[in-house]
Amino acid sequence: MSDIKTQVVVLGAGPGGYSAAFRAADLGLDVVLVESRATLGGVCLNVGCIPSKALLHVAKVIDDAKAMASHGVTFGEPQIDLDKIRGWKESVVNQLTGGLTGMAKARKVTTVNGYGKFTGSNTIAVEGADGTTTITFDQAIVAAGSEPVSLPFIPEDPRIFDSTGALELADVPGEMLVLGGGIIGLEMGTVYSALGSNVSVVEFLDQLVPAADKDVVRVYNTFNKKRFNIMLSTKVVAVEAKEDGLYVTFEGKKAPAEPVRYDKILVAVGRTPNGKKVDAEKAGVTVTDRGFIEVDSQLRTNVNHIFAIGDVVGQPMLAHKAVHEAHVAAEVISGMKHFFDPKCIPSIAYTDPEIAWVGLTEREAKEQGLNFEVAKFPWAASGRAIASARTEGMTKMIFDKDNGRVIGGAIVGINAGEMLGEIGLAIEMGADAEDIGLTIHAHPTLNESIGLACEVFEGSITDLPNAKAKKKK
Amino acid sequence: MADIQDVQVPDVGGDAVEVIELCVAVGDTVAQEDSLITVESDKASMDIPSPGAGTITEITVAIGDKVNEGSVIVKLAVEASAEAEQSAAPQQAAPAPEPQAPEKAPAQPVEQSTSDLEAFPPSVVGVEIVEVRVPDIGTEDEVDVIEVLVRPGDNVLQEDGLITVETDKATMDVPSSAPGVVKEVIVKNGDKVKQGSLILMLEVCHTEEVNVVVPTTTIDTKVVAPKAKGPVGVPSEAPVPFHPMARATARDTVYSSPSVRRVAREFGVDMTKVTGTGRKKRILKEDVQAYVKYELSRPKATAAANTSGGGGGLQLIAQPKVDFAKFGEIEQTPLTRIQKISGPNLHRNWVTIPHVTQFEEADITDVEAFRKEQNEAGKKQKLDVKITPLVFIMKALAKSLEAFPVFNSSLHEDGEHLVMKKYIHIGIAVDTPKGLVVPVVRDVNKKGIYDLSRELMELSAKARDGKLKAQDMQGGCMTISSLGGIGGTAFTPIVNAPEVAILGVSKSEIKPKWDGAAFQPRLMLPLSLSYDHRVIDGALAAKFAVHLGGIMSDIRKLIL
Repeated sequence: MSDIKTQVVVLGAGPGGYSAAFRAADLGLDVVLVESRATLGGVCLNVGCIPSKALLHVAKVIDDAKAMASHGVTFGEPQIDLDKIRGWKESVVNQLTGGLTGMAKARKVTTVNGYGKFTGSNTIAVEGADGTTTITFDQAIVAAGSEPVSLPFIPEDPRIFDSTGALELADVPGEMLVLGGGIIGLEMGTVYSALGSNVSVVEFLDQLVPAADKDVVRVYNTFNKKRFNIMLSTKVVAVEAKEDGLYVTFEGKKAPAEPVRYDKILVAVGRTPNGKKVDAEKAGVTVTDRGFIEVDSQLRTNVNHIFAIGDVVGQPMLAHKAVHEAHVAAEVISGMKHFFDPKCIPSIAYTDPEIAWVGLTEREAKEQGLNFEVAKFPWAASGRAIASARTEGMTKMIFDKDNGRVIGGAIVGINAGEMLGEIGLAIEMGADAEDIGLTIHAHPTLNESIGLACEVFEGSITDLPNAKAKKKK
Repeated sequence: MADIQDVQVPDVGGDAVEVIELCVAVGDTVAQEDSLITVESDKASMDIPSPGAGTITEITVAIGDKVNEGSVIVKLAVEASAEAEQSAAPQQAAPAPEPQAPEKAPAQPVEQSTSDLEAFPPSVVGVEIVEVRVPDIGTEDEVDVIEVLVRPGDNVLQEDGLITVETDKATMDVPSSAPGVVKEVIVKNGDKVKQGSLILMLEVCHTEEVNVVVPTTTIDTKVVAPKAKGPVGVPSEAPVPFHPMARATARDTVYSSPSVRRVAREFGVDMTKVTGTGRKKRILKEDVQAYVKYELSRPKATAAANTSGGGGGLQLIAQPKVDFAKFGEIEQTPLTRIQKISGPNLHRNWVTIPHVTQFEEADITDVEAFRKEQNEAGKKQKLDVKITPLVFIMKALAKSLEAFPVFNSSLHEDGEHLVMKKYIHIGIAVDTPKGLVVPVVRDVNKKGIYDLSRELMELSAKARDGKLKAQDMQGGCMTISSLGGIGGTAFTPIVNAPEVAILGVSKSEIKPKWDGAAFQPRLMLPLSLSYDHRVIDGALAAKFAVHLGGIMSDIRKLIL
């Protein structure tokens, strides 16, 4: 039982929470960071973005080694040591979370371990291993994050897990069902299929990664025809847990007639905010029915001295959005007149191939009735893609037709995520097709496909047939 | 080489009207704006002015005829094509003093007079009625409409005020989103409005290329004379202060990088109002800084902000609060809009400018005799204009400014330079029911007595009707405040910054003046010259006053 008084308390130490705490500390404020996990970093570092990338790296090397056979290099069958893979993944996580602990100390940010809940407008009680800590604060930043959605009709069974369970890598099931064709489901599906599982993906909508454009995802589907059994426009209506497996009944377009047996099921149908779990209403903060906390463009809640950031304030639930919101919230608390004012927030599926998009999609541009034009550069015309034997990729740019400015872009292909930054910068800076087309991109790179797509729009492309070329009489 | 132009009936705001008088005959020479015919509608009668100078070669209507917008009234022979061009140009320019904001008027005949279609640039594509709604006014609450600034039929430019609304913090004008003609005003004084409320219906025409000039070299070119309600022939060369908002178009999305947007938000700058000077009109940090600097340099539109608390670094105690009701019955009335705007300006000028007032008397016996004589003669010639004493004072002042250029200057904001002006625009303080306004007469040194008299009449009428536009009140070099019509012997006017001097005029009086042998009855006009002592020395001011008085006592000096 102890009492702490502080200027700023941050509830949750995910990417948003620790960034807010560190930024506030760097701006000269006393900061207490409350975290229920033993380590800092939240879902992203502990059971999300980072460990999944460690496993996806493993998957990629396995797949690449296999693919080499057709180019004259044959490796033996991989020997999978799950304990060692898991150990390596954990070492990655530990390195990063350990780094955060060190940085918190260096910044003199006090961390309190336990689940923090509001008890009044200026107090938070943290239930920890050593009892309750009461924190009295001047200002608070709620960064309570989100958790996987669980479906009511799915039974409690150790063979059914969410992304956290999937990352534990207990075994490699023979038959695995991924429920939900979004980014998380496909990433984990990729890992398990590389390790040897037969993976089926069931998606209620008619498209995997529904937020991305259809033509972009089509490239992904074609490439992964053999990897996954994909069931679109199909839903799971019942799961029966039997001793020899989980029997799943489907309904919809691609539904098998009979229930299908799986060894494991990954439920990856989305994430739900934790707004209702911190007793925010006791501080007077309004929480919506769905658990979101509404904020203004300075991340301020309806209560003047309480801010909220990250997943808990709304979509997209992405670490990089939370970090930027965190900086704004901390800066506003320290007296700066800053606003969260991005033109775009990038999204990336670290699948194989990667699917990355930023700004408006073609569908959104259409829905908004914009005067836009799409230009695509297929990687079949890219020397670097051909040399890497990965020509399935495509770079797609979306322009405002009135002024040629970039309003969106999508890349599907290997390393797509690493290339997306240029498009985001272009959108933020208001660059137009000519600006990017005239920027000399190194050759041969996959990245030059962005410049070449702009040349397609400009009508100056020479690496493809030019639809805008002058017609000879 | 004379061009024959058809002169047509402009927009007369209704259906067919009856010709009740012909003001010209074949062979008459007319000047631009001279009346050609008088028409009468069910509401009012009005004169149709000539679009240009020339000779009447044919009159195509007779008394009693019904005419429509577009009907040909007379054929006008314009002296030469060069002149035709000149007369055509004002027709293009008149309804739209600012070329980038053409008004609707020129397009109207297109609708109704198909036979004359060729008279118009084909690029005038049509007319559209648009709804003008209350934009984001910084509050979600309802606000009071305290003044409706336009009436149906008014021509408005983009950014012209339509209504004035009052919030608990400030009053502000809601500007027009586009140039056009007011068709219908939906709101009235006292209404409550909020963002999105419909203010009025505006008739807007697509006249992007309206500046394509009607051909003037071809014989028989048809030209219509759209009669603008505003002043005709506002000198386009008149310097109007640059406003960064002027070139912004609402449709453009903001074009700037994240760091610039951040700076803008810190200062609360509406980026759609900032003009970008970067490549492809990108808004740079410097543009935001310039905008903020400009906005800060503008006086705030609330009197309250400056009347208490002692702004400008003055360490003043607050006004004592007095409960007047203790002493008798009282009533509270609001300051007028003009008072609210001019009050802080006057206060700033009064406290920041070291004023000195020089008094002088001018002998106007002769000029008054001359003036009355001319007005008598004018009456016989049926001139539509009367010369007032003020016009002579304006001419004398313009002449004096030429002789003493330091009076025609402004202090540079760096405090180290004077801005010397090569033009002579004179502001005339006009007392209106709503408060004091100062319309500006441009290029006084270049205009004759009659021109100035007419212009002054028009400006005064506009001032009294509250129709003055911002540009009518900008660019003055020195101001005349004449209280001569009321009375008084002298007063100390406040310099109208950034001008450096102001001339007060009081009531003239016959006084005995010693001519060396005897006292003579002379009509003496008291002059009060207030000046900024930072710029003008006392000796110079005295010389200026004497020089001015000298001209007034013998106006032959005006032509020296």
